[in-house]
Amino acid sequence: MTTRRAVLKGAVSSTILGLASWDVSAQSGARFVYANNSPYDNLDPHTVFDVSRAATRLNLYDGLYRWVDNPPKLVPWLAASHTVSEDGKVYSFKLRSEARFHDGKPVTSADVVYSIERIIALRKGPASHYLDVIKPGSTQAPDPATVVFNLVQPYAIFLATVPDMLIVNSALVKANEQDGDWGESWLARNDAGSGSYVLRRHDPAVGWIGRRFNDHFAGWTGQPIDEIEFRTVLDTSTRVLGLIRGEFHGADGYMPYDQIERLRRSPNVQVIEQEAMRVFGLALNNRKSLMNNVHFRRAIAHAFDYDGFIKNILKDSVSRNPGPNPNTIWGTPAGLRGYDYDLDKARAELAKVGEPLRVIGINALAGFSDSEQAAILLQNALRQIGVEAVVELSPWTVVLSRMSKPETRADIIPVWRSSFYIDPNNWVGELFGTRYHDSRSFSLYSNPEFDRRLDQALISRDHEERRKLYEEMTQMVMDDAASVFIYNTRWYGPYSRKVKDIRFSPVNHGQDMRWVSMSR
Amino acid sequence: MRELLGRFSRDRAALLGLCIIGPLVLAAIFAQILAPYPNDVIDFHLERRLLPPSADALLGTDRMGSDILSRLLFGARTTLMLAGVTVGLALLIGVPVGLVAGYYDNRMSEALMRIAEIFLAVPQIVLAIAIAQTLGPSIKNAILALTLTYWPFWARLVYAETRSMRNEVFVESAVALGASPWRVIVLHILPAIASPIIVRTSIGMGATILTAATLGFLGLGPPPTAPEWGRMIAESREHLPEAWWYALAPGVAIFLTVLGFNLVGDGLRDILDPRLRRGP
Amino acid sequence: MNWLSMIANRLLWFVPTLLGLLAIVFVLSRVVPVDPAHLAAGEQASSEQVQRVRARFGFDKPLPVQFINYLRDVATGDLGTSHYTQRPIVDDLASRLPATLELILTALLLAALLGIPLGVLCGLYRHSWLDHILRVISVSGLAVASFWLAMQLQLLFSMRLGWLPLAGRIEGFPPDMITGFLLLDALISGEGDLFASALRHLALPALTLALPAAASVVRFMRNGVISAIHSPSVAYQTAMGFPRWLIVWKYVLRLALSTTVTQLGLIFGFLLAGTVVVETVFDWPGLGGYAVRSILQSDYNAVMGFTLCTGALVLVINLCVDVLQIAIDPRGSA
Repeated sequence: MTTRRAVLKGAVSSTILGLASWDVSAQSGARFVYANNSPYDNLDPHTVFDVSRAATRLNLYDGLYRWVDNPPKLVPWLAASHTVSEDGKVYSFKLRSEARFHDGKPVTSADVVYSIERIIALRKGPASHYLDVIKPGSTQAPDPATVVFNLVQPYAIFLATVPDMLIVNSALVKANEQDGDWGESWLARNDAGSGSYVLRRHDPAVGWIGRRFNDHFAGWTGQPIDEIEFRTVLDTSTRVLGLIRGEFHGADGYMPYDQIERLRRSPNVQVIEQEAMRVFGLALNNRKSLMNNVHFRRAIAHAFDYDGFIKNILKDSVSRNPGPNPNTIWGTPAGLRGYDYDLDKARAELAKVGEPLRVIGINALAGFSDSEQAAILLQNALRQIGVEAVVELSPWTVVLSRMSKPETRADIIPVWRSSFYIDPNNWVGELFGTRYHDSRSFSLYSNPEFDRRLDQALISRDHEERRKLYEEMTQMVMDDAASVFIYNTRWYGPYSRKVKDIRFSPVNHGQDMRWVSMSR
Repeated sequence: MRELLGRFSRDRAALLGLCIIGPLVLAAIFAQILAPYPNDVIDFHLERRLLPPSADALLGTDRMGSDILSRLLFGARTTLMLAGVTVGLALLIGVPVGLVAGYYDNRMSEALMRIAEIFLAVPQIVLAIAIAQTLGPSIKNAILALTLTYWPFWARLVYAETRSMRNEVFVESAVALGASPWRVIVLHILPAIASPIIVRTSIGMGATILTAATLGFLGLGPPPTAPEWGRMIAESREHLPEAWWYALAPGVAIFLTVLGFNLVGDGLRDILDPRLRRGP
Repeated sequence: MNWLSMIANRLLWFVPTLLGLLAIVFVLSRVVPVDPAHLAAGEQASSEQVQRVRARFGFDKPLPVQFINYLRDVATGDLGTSHYTQRPIVDDLASRLPATLELILTALLLAALLGIPLGVLCGLYRHSWLDHILRVISVSGLAVASFWLAMQLQLLFSMRLGWLPLAGRIEGFPPDMITGFLLLDALISGEGDLFASALRHLALPALTLALPAAASVVRFMRNGVISAIHSPSVAYQTAMGFPRWLIVWKYVLRLALSTTVTQLGLIFGFLLAGTVVVETVFDWPGLGGYAVRSILQSDYNAVMGFTLCTGALVLVINLCVDVLQIAIDPRGSA
């Protein structure tokens, strides 16, 4: 086995550890309140895996590596470095000796082993990254500072997904296990992390409060925030009004653009703008009758008023994204042409369908106006080409639960695909690969040619080869109109003017609070 | 009869109610003609989103650029149809149940009223939401949800009225003369208790319009793009405080409609139901 | 002793009524197009995992068996777990009931403070211009859609004037629960700021809720006063030459109030139904908002729990009102 130094090591030493010290300027004591659009009902970092509840994972827990900044960089975190074997199957991480959990116990390789075993056993949240490549019991801890992952096969995206593998305090969780539940009910309410903040209070109906963890291995600089509160405020108007009044110091950066314009007029608020990696599109259920007809899907793709939606409804606050991958990442063929809004083309495709039409169901996400408005816009255009559609609005959990089965999943769902790790596999791969049908598939699309390339792209260690494969996959999905892609989100992070040094990354959504300085 | 009409026409409040309902029904029927932009029920004009009231759009435009006045007029149609059918169906179920249960004194009448009691033990809106959510949003399902939760109200009302009639002299004499129970119920009791039913039908229309609008507000009424007042108000929430006109018109429309039915109901109560009269 | 047997009889019927109610909601919850096992298992659960959850919670058994199992759990005080909040339903309900009661009782107080004096005035000065105006207002109060009124109040008092908070019950985390009634807790612990904040949050939702109730109180009081004035005892007092204010104070008011009290059950039902909408708009952490959210999320354990709780509450209140009615006027018990 030949070793290979992590190329990433240089990036971290200057930004984090060079300044490691607890000597924080005397003006600290700041308190930061973040108004979040969904409830923190569950704090378990291994079962919850969505954008709206990212703050608990980012602030209470650490992973071996971490994504920072935009474009996102992977920096060593609890691990100082790693090596990969020649065959790409053995990943060995060296842990930092100074990292401590919130109870003072050092972070060791045994904790890493416990964490990955727990993720695989619970099969929730980030588990789908690892189920195919890490078998239970295969991960080793030869010494307290070294952890070795033995993958079943080479796995090109392994490193990109390592930040999702958050490390829990194994002794603490084990002490709270009940009937072999891996401490699932306990960890939903408690904190067993090493992260930058320590959980002080939690109420599923209200939110949670964290106090700064002085002994965090990365140390503290500037005027860090001493207490963070992430509060659930479901109503958008309330979040906006609270920001304007200065009662909240931050909120989610994906609000309707009308609200962003209102926030910009407030002297208390700064709106930070960044290109995110959150693609919005119409997920088409390729497994249902009529929807499995490529001409019908193309007709849908030509029946969406992309320009009208982006220019008039969203006021150009987002950019057109013709394919499944965000414009800002590799893996999309140069000059990829998306479908255009042209009802004549749509009618022409419809003429080729060659089977009777039926009523199409569109299931939009209740409370998300982009999703609602895209649904009724499409419904309107479909009617003009002679296709009747019914729009139903449901909460996200209900949409999700219906998505689990091809029969209950709606024909069309206007929905986002966020970034969990930064690799085209997060989009075109997971959304259309047959191997992901059980987890995050967008369309239940199945194409052996596509799957063959996907298999190769997942084990290839040659970046250029992977680029070519993902570009081909993207082209296939586009030709088949497997789904319709509309825009890539821009992130408009509204923060109090007292706050500076927000480090947005498309994975942390500006909620990684350890970097932030705040004047009192 | 003439005397009753005369008394009704002297009741200014009740007349006001009629003056509201009459034009409303006409507006619902002739929405196609009256609406400045009749196609705006289904057409969008994305370049004209969220415009304040002006000569072009008297009540402003909504989030899809449709004319709010036009949608409001078609919304009257949705609302009146929904409430009318619901109240009608609830009467068709509730009145016979109440009559039968009130007239007879047996297990079945007991059982019928117990079932009605079950429905009445939680607020109507809660069961209606639950049923509407289960069935999925559509006008038909909204009607079904409202009817299923509304008939017990009528059953209880008619039951109580029937009970109080049962020992009246004219009923007892009809029974003594050998009239069949059905004959007694339909020819003697029903006409005698018609007044409170008519009075409450008018008030019930108002209440049902409010409940239906609440379903729409919560996203459980007719599906999107069907013009429905409750949903229009829900849509406007995100655009407050800038688009103040968005919720104003549908809110006032609901208010006036319900007010109209309540005033007429009040007036009817005065002339038809001496026991409930506002004053001698 | 007659009324004791009446109470016993009513109590006896509580159980079947609640059972029927639960059965209705149970059937609803099992025909929804959402798989409860999948909801409980989590969004990325494999089909095999969903199967395991299905077996664990007994979702694979026939409906009547599931219902009986549910009832058995209820009998032991276990209402199940909400798959939305991941907490026992009993805890959810217990933490939310005081919030709803606080809102309802405040609204009831407001309705009484507004409705009783106005109703008395209307009754005393019947057919005056005051009576006509108030009659239109009181009919109007019952015609406003409360969600719309709530939004207009928010628009005016929170967004434009900035006087009152837009939504919620308190800023951030509530203090440790003593009674669960925030106003009361603040008084007990002597925290003036907390009291003021709780009051400011309570103002708009309580007002929205109180308006239709106040309108009905006005009507009941007015009718009560009118019939009291024409009652033989008042006529006798008048004939005896007692001053008008004394008669109104001592007899008319009492008679009118006692008839209004008999309508308390109706008004309470009104308010309870109102909380469903008002709590949703004002994000008030009570039972009404909980019901709407649970139904929309297909969180049916929570819906069942809410139904049970509300059904019991309504039945108890109605019984109390009936007992009160008998206590006030024993003759009316037939």
